[in-house]
Amino acid sequence: MEQTAPTLAELQTLIEMTGTINMEVFYWWCTGLMVIIHAGFLAYEMGASRLKNALASGVKNILAFAFIIPTFFFFGWWIYLAMYNGFVPDFEAAAAGLPWSTNMGPNLSDNASGIFWGAFVLFAATTASIFSGAVIERIRMSSFLILAIILGSVVWILGAAWGWHPTGWLTVEWGFHDFGAAGCVHMVAGFFALGVTINLGPRIGRFMADGTPVDIKGHSMPMTIIGLMLIIVGFFGFLGGCMIYAGSAQWTTIFGTSVTLSAVSFNTLMAFSGGIIGAYFVTRQPFWMMSGALAGIFSAAPGLDLYYPPLAFLLGITGGVVAPLADKFITNKFKVDDAVGAFAVHGVGGLIGLIGLGVFASGFPNVIEGAPNVSFTGQLMSAAVMALLGFVPGFGLSYVMAKMNFLRVPPKAEEMGLDIVEVPLEAYPESVPAYSSTSEVPATKITANA
Amino acid sequence: MNSSPITTWEGAEAYFTFADSPSAMMLILGLAVLVTAGAVVASVLHENHTYIDYK
Repeated sequence: MEQTAPTLAELQTLIEMTGTINMEVFYWWCTGLMVIIHAGFLAYEMGASRLKNALASGVKNILAFAFIIPTFFFFGWWIYLAMYNGFVPDFEAAAAGLPWSTNMGPNLSDNASGIFWGAFVLFAATTASIFSGAVIERIRMSSFLILAIILGSVVWILGAAWGWHPTGWLTVEWGFHDFGAAGCVHMVAGFFALGVTINLGPRIGRFMADGTPVDIKGHSMPMTIIGLMLIIVGFFGFLGGCMIYAGSAQWTTIFGTSVTLSAVSFNTLMAFSGGIIGAYFVTRQPFWMMSGALAGIFSAAPGLDLYYPPLAFLLGITGGVVAPLADKFITNKFKVDDAVGAFAVHGVGGLIGLIGLGVFASGFPNVIEGAPNVSFTGQLMSAAVMALLGFVPGFGLSYVMAKMNFLRVPPKAEEMGLDIVEVPLEAYPESVPAYSSTSEVPATKITANA
Repeated sequence: MNSSPITTWEGAEAYFTFADSPSAMMLILGLAVLVTAGAVVASVLHENHTYIDYK
């Protein structure tokens, strides 16, 4: 049987299709890995809850994930494609993101939309999970769901359109650079959580009458610590999803600048390590060591593509040291009950990251025509935008909900425990009754003891 | 119910159910939005009912 050599056109088609399939495969597994982030958040939140609230915290976390997915389909993805200029949408650019577009479903001429949408959904769900931990044990489920949808399918993705987009205005105008989404994901979610916790108020018993904080210990510290480690495993998918697979050319960041997986490997692991060491140095506690690992990664996240690895390590140490101290400060000074230190780890960690890039990586060029180089001023102003973008809607909406008496569960229900009141099941039915006040784990410290 | 927008896979592009019927797509989308919003409303009602005994 005679075999004919493939033509150049056939070879070209084969190469292009291989590149397309590889792109899909890459983001498919990044998305799968990111689901592990949510397994981690689930374990983390349930472990950080007292026995009487463990299941309710789990339900809340799972529902956040569930509601983000359809709402991000309905309007989240469109916001990303449309709002890169600020508050004025580009309807033409966002047409493919409309939920009735033929791009938003199985389409043999579009291998990209679904796989990128999927990755962004997981980023969105991450923001909701970050917020979720801060408000455990006293927020109403329904008010939480509304706030989580607004954060995950509106607020953060607006930040992503502005500062994590090939032509977002923060980059075009100020040269903003943020490889690992420290701004739009971590800062926005952390500051949103701060705004809500202020109006939500502390859990009953969190502060004594004179304002002295009393730490409320979760029912399973090992579950919390393993959850935190799972979050970090998942973050390798998250960071992979921060890269653009170009097929026949070098990887790029979402801003179009060149990068390699090797670069991100060096710096992520070094920052991770630094975060643990930094937090261990000031707390000696495994909870904060693992939270410090996260804060360490976020503190280097904007420059994971650029840093000399020992610098990422030092930034990681900075995040690991500062996060527990920041949590202690807002707890003691402002009487804010952020049950898992979400603001300190994500909000402050992201802030260190954005400003750190301005300090240590100024002068790196952008590829967008006319966009300025990375600068300290650009990073600082962009960080302020991200902080406000998270805090203002979080505080404003929760303020209105609190005024309507819609934000928080009744005190009696809080004291009884939300598992038996709302779920109603017990996490460990063969154990002592979860709803008995005598079964509560004695209060001890989960915050920094530095 | 024939929901296929294609009659052959040759040259097919958008091939999901009702891809060639905007009105059907809008109906299904509208139902999905209503169910999602309804689930949040149901959660509010569930909590209002649950917390009656705890006020």
